[in-house]
Amino acid sequence: MPPAVNRALPAKEAKLFREVLNFYENRQLKNGLKAADQILKKVPEHGETLCMKGLILTHMGRREEGIELVKKGMRMDLTSHICWHVFGLIQKGEKNYEEALKSYTQALRFDKENLNILRDSAHLQTQLRLYDGLVDTRHTLLRLRPTLRQNWIGLAVAYHLSGNLSEARKVLEQYEAVLKNVPDYDVEHSEVLLYHVRLLEEMGDTSEALAFLDLNAKSRAIVDRVAIIEYRARLMSKLKMPEANSTWRNLIEQNPDSYTYYKGYLLNNDVDLDAITPDTRDKALQTLQEFAAAIPRAAAPKRLALNIADGDQFKELATAYLTAGLEKGIPSLFADVKALYRDPAKRQAIQDIVEGIREELAVTSEPPKSSEPTTYLWTLYFLAQHYSSFSDHARAVELLELGATHTPTLPELYTFRGRVLKRCGDPFGAALCLDEARVLDLQDRFLNTKCAKYRLRAGLTDEASEILGLFTKKDASSPGADLEDMQSLLYLTEEADAHLRKGNLGLALKKYSTIQKVFNEFEDDQFDFHGYSLRRFTINIYLDMISWEDRLRSHPAYIHTAINASKIWVQLHDDPSIAKSNSPGAGFSDTEKKAKKKAKKAAKKVQEEVKKATTTSTSSEDKGLEPQAAKDDDPNGDKILQAPDPLERAAKLVAPLRTVAADNIDAWIVIYDVAVRRKKYLQAVKALNSARALDADHPELHLRVAHFRHTLSSATQLSPEPMAPVVKDALANLLPDELSLEHFNAQYSQKHSSDGKAILASAKVSRLLNAPLDQIEGSVFSVFNPDVSLDLKTALDTLTFLHEIKSSRVEEFKAACDSRFERSTVFKSPTEQAALRWNAAETEAVNGEVEKPEVIG
Amino acid sequence: MNIRLARVDDLPGMQACNLQNLPENYTMKYYLYHILTWPQLSYVAEDEKGRIVGYILAKMEEDLTEAEEPHGHVTSISVLRSYRRLGLAKRLMVQSQEAMATVFRASYVSLHVRKSNRAALSLYRDTLGFTVKEIEKKYYADGEDAYAMKLSLKELAR
Repeated sequence: MPPAVNRALPAKEAKLFREVLNFYENRQLKNGLKAADQILKKVPEHGETLCMKGLILTHMGRREEGIELVKKGMRMDLTSHICWHVFGLIQKGEKNYEEALKSYTQALRFDKENLNILRDSAHLQTQLRLYDGLVDTRHTLLRLRPTLRQNWIGLAVAYHLSGNLSEARKVLEQYEAVLKNVPDYDVEHSEVLLYHVRLLEEMGDTSEALAFLDLNAKSRAIVDRVAIIEYRARLMSKLKMPEANSTWRNLIEQNPDSYTYYKGYLLNNDVDLDAITPDTRDKALQTLQEFAAAIPRAAAPKRLALNIADGDQFKELATAYLTAGLEKGIPSLFADVKALYRDPAKRQAIQDIVEGIREELAVTSEPPKSSEPTTYLWTLYFLAQHYSSFSDHARAVELLELGATHTPTLPELYTFRGRVLKRCGDPFGAALCLDEARVLDLQDRFLNTKCAKYRLRAGLTDEASEILGLFTKKDASSPGADLEDMQSLLYLTEEADAHLRKGNLGLALKKYSTIQKVFNEFEDDQFDFHGYSLRRFTINIYLDMISWEDRLRSHPAYIHTAINASKIWVQLHDDPSIAKSNSPGAGFSDTEKKAKKKAKKAAKKVQEEVKKATTTSTSSEDKGLEPQAAKDDDPNGDKILQAPDPLERAAKLVAPLRTVAADNIDAWIVIYDVAVRRKKYLQAVKALNSARALDADHPELHLRVAHFRHTLSSATQLSPEPMAPVVKDALANLLPDELSLEHFNAQYSQKHSSDGKAILASAKVSRLLNAPLDQIEGSVFSVFNPDVSLDLKTALDTLTFLHEIKSSRVEEFKAACDSRFERSTVFKSPTEQAALRWNAAETEAVNGEVEKPEVIG
Repeated sequence: MNIRLARVDDLPGMQACNLQNLPENYTMKYYLYHILTWPQLSYVAEDEKGRIVGYILAKMEEDLTEAEEPHGHVTSISVLRSYRRLGLAKRLMVQSQEAMATVFRASYVSLHVRKSNRAALSLYRDTLGFTVKEIEKKYYADGEDAYAMKLSLKELAR
C-alpha cells in the first residue's frame, strides 16, 4: 500500500478543512466549496480535500465533475477514511449498496470508531440483509455511545432481524434497567415497551408477555390503548383465561366493524368462523346476533352471520340484509354478497329474495312510498350483476335498460352495462358506456379512471390519455407522465397491456419496465427508515416494513409484469426480426419534453416533507446524491426491442417469481420458457415439476412438456452438462421415454376433448411435430363442437394461433366466433371495427370542454 | 366491510385507492413516512377479497409553535365510489380520531379540502362534524384555494 503522502495540512489549511467538513454537514455547499478551493490553491493534490470538493459539487448538481474529483482524490490518498467515506456516499447515492458497503468497510479500517461511518454501514447492512454484520456494527455503536437510547434499540433490532430473539430480549431488558428519566406519557417509550411485548409473544413466553403488558399498561407507560387491548385479548386467549371474553368484547365495542375481533371472540369460545361445523353453527349465529342487536350500527356481525347460516335461517337473515341494503341504495351490495355464491343454494336463495322484491315493487306503482323508486332501481342493478355473474348477459342488459329508462342519471347502470359488454367481447361498446357514466358526474375521478381503463381495454390509448388528463397535474408533460410519477400501477399495467394487445411490443416493454422501476423505488424507499425508525422508536411497524419489503414482488402487478414482459423477451429471442417491424408509436414533442421537466420539479416538492423528516438535507441548492433521471431517448420503444440480451433480461424478471409466485402456474410456465432457451435444463424441468404439482392437466403445461422432450431430443449440447442424467430422469418422470410425442398428444386431446384450451394446446403440439396444416386446422375447428367449452379469451388465442400458422381458414374461424359470441365485436372485420372504434372515441365529452366545477362560498 | 388499523402491506392498496378517487396523490415514501411515524393513526376498509376500498391516512402535526396544542391532521381520506353509502368514511375517521386523542392527546384534528369539492365538504361538515376555520389561498399546486377545517377532540381525551 502506498504511504499516505501529504495528508497533514499546514495549520491554516487544516483549520479550513475542518470548516469544509462543518459546512458540508450543515449543507452550506457554497461556503464549503469556497473553503475547499482555498485549500487546493495551496495544496492542489490534497486527496481528502479533493474528495470533499467532489462530494460538494455532486450535491450541487455538478455530478460528472464531482465524481471525477472524488476519484482523483482517492488516487491521492488510498488510506484516508474520509476519501473512502466520500466514495461510499457517492455509491450509496447511486443505489449501489454492495459497493458502498465495501467502501465503508475500507473507511472503517482506517478509522475504526467513526460513528457516522458505523451508522451508515449499519443502514447498508440492513438494506442488504447482512444481519450478522449488522449485529457487529450495532455492538460497536452501543459500546462507543451507550448513553444514546437508539443505540440500545438498534442492537436489539439487529438481533431480532438476525433471528436471535433471546439476545434481542436481553438487550431490551438491560436497556429498560438502565433507563432513567422517562418523561410522563412518552409515546416513544411506549412503542419500545410494545415491541418488548411482541418479542415475548413471538418467543412463546405468553404469560410473561401478558404480565409485562399489564404492568406497563397500569403504570401508563404504554399509552396505546387499542394496542394494549389487542395484545391482551390475544395473549389471554392463548392462555385460555376466562377474562379473555370480556377483553375481546371490549375490542368489539371499540371497533364493531373489525372482522378480526369477532373471529377472536368466537375462537376464544371454541368456534372457528372460518371452519364452521354443524356443532358450532348455532352458537356462532347466536353470538353474532347478540352483537348485532347490541350494536345496531355495526355491519360486520350481520354480514358474518350470512357466511355461516344455512337453510331457512339463511333466507331470513339474507332477506333482512338485502332489503336493508336495497332500500339504502348501497352500490356495493352485490359485490358484498357475491362471495356467498360459492354455495349454489345461497345463490338461488338470494336470487329468489331479490326477484321477489323486484316483483313486489314493479306492481305497487301507485302510490309509492318515497324510497321505493330508488329501491326499485337498485334492485334492478343488483339483479343485473347477479345474472351477469353466471353469464346470463342478455338478462343483465335487459334489466339495466329497464333501469336506465326509469332513471337515466345513475352512473352505476352504465358502468355495469360496460362491464357486461366487456365480458361479451365488445370493448368498444363497453368504452362508450363508461363514457356515458363519466359525463354524469364529471367531478368524480373514480368514473374517470374506470372510463380510461375501458378505453385502454379497447385499444384507444390516445383517447384514454385525453380523459386521464382531466385529473392529472396540468404541468405534467402528459397524463401518463404524472401517473407514472405517482406510481400508478393500475394505469401502467393497463397501458402496457393495451400496447401489447395492439402488437406494439416496444411500448409495452417500456411500460412494463416502468412498473419494474416502481418496485425498485419501493425497495429503495426503505433505506432512510433504517435510521429514522430507530430515532422515532416505532420498532414494531419498522419490523413489519422489513418483512413487507422482503415480499414486495409478490404484488400482483409485479407478477403480471414479469410474466408478460418475459413473454415478449422470449418472443424477441425466438424471432429477432420482430424488433425491426414493430409499429411506431407516438413520440414526444419539444413542448412535451419541457413540460415534463417542469412536472418533475412539482413532484419533488411533495417529497420534501419526507426528506425533511428522514434526512438532514434541507437547502434548495442541495440536489442530493442521487443521479437525476436520465432523459427518455427511446420514446417509441424501438431501442428497447433491440436489446442484445433479451433472455438475460427475462431471467432477471422472473427470478423473484420462484419464491413470491410459487402457487402461480403461469409463473412456472414462463420460468420454463426462459430457462429452456438459456439451456438451463435442470431449472427448466424443475419449473415443469412445480407447474405439474399445481395442475397436472394444464394445457400450457402439456405444451411445455412436449416442447421439452422435443428440445432435448434435438439438442446436441446436452451431454456436456453434468446434470444431463438428472434432467433426463426428471423428464422421463413427466413423460415416459417409451411414449412417443404423437401418442402423448393424442392421449391428451382425447382426455380433454371438450375443453377449448386443451384443444388449442394440443394443436400447438401438433404444429411442433410438423403435422400437416389441414390436420391442425381440423382439430382447431373442433372447438365449435357443441360439447366443447370455449371462452372468449381462448377463442381469441386460437385466432392468434391460426394467424401464426398462416391458416387459410382465419376468416371462417372469425365468422364462426362472431355468431358464437353474441354481442361481441372483437371478431368483426377491420372496417367494421374501425367504425366501432371511431364511434367509441368520438363522444361529445372528449371533444367538449369539461365543465368547470362550481366554487362555493 | 372490515375496518382495521392499516398495516405496511396495505400501503399499495391505499395508494391505488387514492389514485382512483382523488386528485391529490403521493408516492409510496410519503405513505411509509406516515405509517412508520404514526402507526396508530391510519385505518383501512377492505372488502371480502381483501381489497382496500377506503382508507384514512393521518398524522400528528409536527413543528408546533409554543401556543399550539398538539393536534392531528388528516392527510387523505377516501372511499371508492362503488363502496359509498356504507358510512365507511365516518367509521375510518372515528377510529383515527380516537387514536389521535388517546395516544397523542390531540385536542383537535384538522384537514384541508378543495373549495370546489362539494361532495367532500359536505362529508366533513355534515357527516363528520368539522367546521371551516379559514380559507387558505392557493393552497393547492394548481392555484385552488382550500378550506382549512377543524374538529375538536376534547371529549375523546381520557
